[in-house]
Amino acid sequence: MKTIQRLAIFSALALFTTGAVAQETAQEVPTGHLLVKTIVQKEEVVIDDNGDQKVQLVDARVVVPGDEVIYTVTFQNISDAAADNVVITNPIAADLVYVDGSAFGPGSNIVFSVDGGQTFAATNELSVTENGTTRPAEPRDFTHIRWQMQNEIPAGTQGVARFRARLQ
Amino acid sequence: MILRARPQSVFQRVRNSPIAFILTALALLPSQASIAAGTAAGTVIDNTAQLTYDIGGTPLSLNSNTVSVTVDERIDVVVTLQSPQVLVAGGDSNRSLLFRVTNTGNGSEDFLLAIDSNLTGDDFDPVPAVPAIYFDTDSSGDLSAGDVAYNPGVNDPQLAADAFIDILLLNDIPLSAANGETGLSQLTATSTTGSGNPGDVFANQGDGGSDAVVGTSGGQAADVGEYLVSDVAVSIVKSVLVADPFGGTQPVPGATLTYTITVEVTNSGTASGSAVNDPVPANTTYVPASIRLNGSTLTDSPDADAGEFDTVGVPSIVVRLGDLTQLSGPQTVTFQVTID
Repeated sequence: MKTIQRLAIFSALALFTTGAVAQETAQEVPTGHLLVKTIVQKEEVVIDDNGDQKVQLVDARVVVPGDEVIYTVTFQNISDAAADNVVITNPIAADLVYVDGSAFGPGSNIVFSVDGGQTFAATNELSVTENGTTRPAEPRDFTHIRWQMQNEIPAGTQGVARFRARLQ
Repeated sequence: MILRARPQSVFQRVRNSPIAFILTALALLPSQASIAAGTAAGTVIDNTAQLTYDIGGTPLSLNSNTVSVTVDERIDVVVTLQSPQVLVAGGDSNRSLLFRVTNTGNGSEDFLLAIDSNLTGDDFDPVPAVPAIYFDTDSSGDLSAGDVAYNPGVNDPQLAADAFIDILLLNDIPLSAANGETGLSQLTATSTTGSGNPGDVFANQGDGGSDAVVGTSGGQAADVGEYLVSDVAVSIVKSVLVADPFGGTQPVPGATLTYTITVEVTNSGTASGSAVNDPVPANTTYVPASIRLNGSTLTDSPDADAGEFDTVGVPSIVVRLGDLTQLSGPQTVTFQVTID
């Protein structure tokens, strides 16, 4: 329920901001064809009115080691034209370890980097060399995640990318 | 008598296999995976996503807002018995058990220490000496002239994240304790910031003004040591060497642990029918044919030689040393396991 409410609120914000950008374009070269927003959340178990346990997402303002956080990037094309080659790149902070298999992004090809974002590839194509020994990359090696949208993003539409990471 | 060498408990907590992504409440449980205390309390982790795109063939890019997460202090502690079974005689005084208190949280913490020698599961109750708790200040492993007595509330040990301190518990052995009887004594360490149920929050009590959150230990830990009344004095020392698959010494999955257990009679008595019985630590796998007694290979099967890999119940290494005296010299048993 809460997630849906949040999306609704975000949509309202996006629409409002669209109007604001439209006004600004009269004065300067448009820089904001797309809106992008990041939120960070964690799961919280709550007891609902029926006494059942439910997991809901809450803002992750504070965490402790071992906690998992969920980063969600939403974007919306607020221009009149389709956007091609939309790519979202998100770093994975040094104190965080990507949760294997957690990256999610409808319509996207998801690739990872183990070299600070210089190169990206699918997980099974990445390797790491330590002390002269090369081994397959593990989730703890990932420094960045990239979502490559497969299709153009038509005017007015939006998309989402998400992943989980665990605090070391 | 059976000498049961205690496994090195730190290696019982080796990394679990990566857990698949499951969107359930289970995912909320703090991970058992890391041995280190983790990210320092007060750390701020920022995240900004970058978006690149083309419109009308023109490449463009922009950044998202930045979201920040602050790391709270997690209160966790582990107490681990360091000494093997301590052999004593009835009427002994100030006999020490060595424990290690490790701050496995991610912030600095003070710990209250307590002794309890009135435990069930033993034959006699050791009598705590006065004072009963000492810091092993000189790291000798036993009570020495320079060791400082612990005074609750006055010199509670303060431990940084990942830091440990060695503690001695001193007990007197009742005259009535008979040969072969055992007595137990326990050390408990409790965070002075707070303890309770995992997830309990102590607002603004953490490092750097963060909240302090009780971890899986509940902010309190204990371990129990054992005295055995014995007319013969036997020392047993266990050590471990780590060899990881990359040529280093990190206890990672795939690393080989070589355990060495040395048994020696240190006085004039005879230890009859001595045997080493050591369970293979949890989350490890025994390396076949790796049992050695004084350098000689012992087969894994239960046969005529002195040792075997006992797979009945908890998998264990069993080596029968027979009757030992001081003249027997040190008996060295080694075996290997790999971390799963």
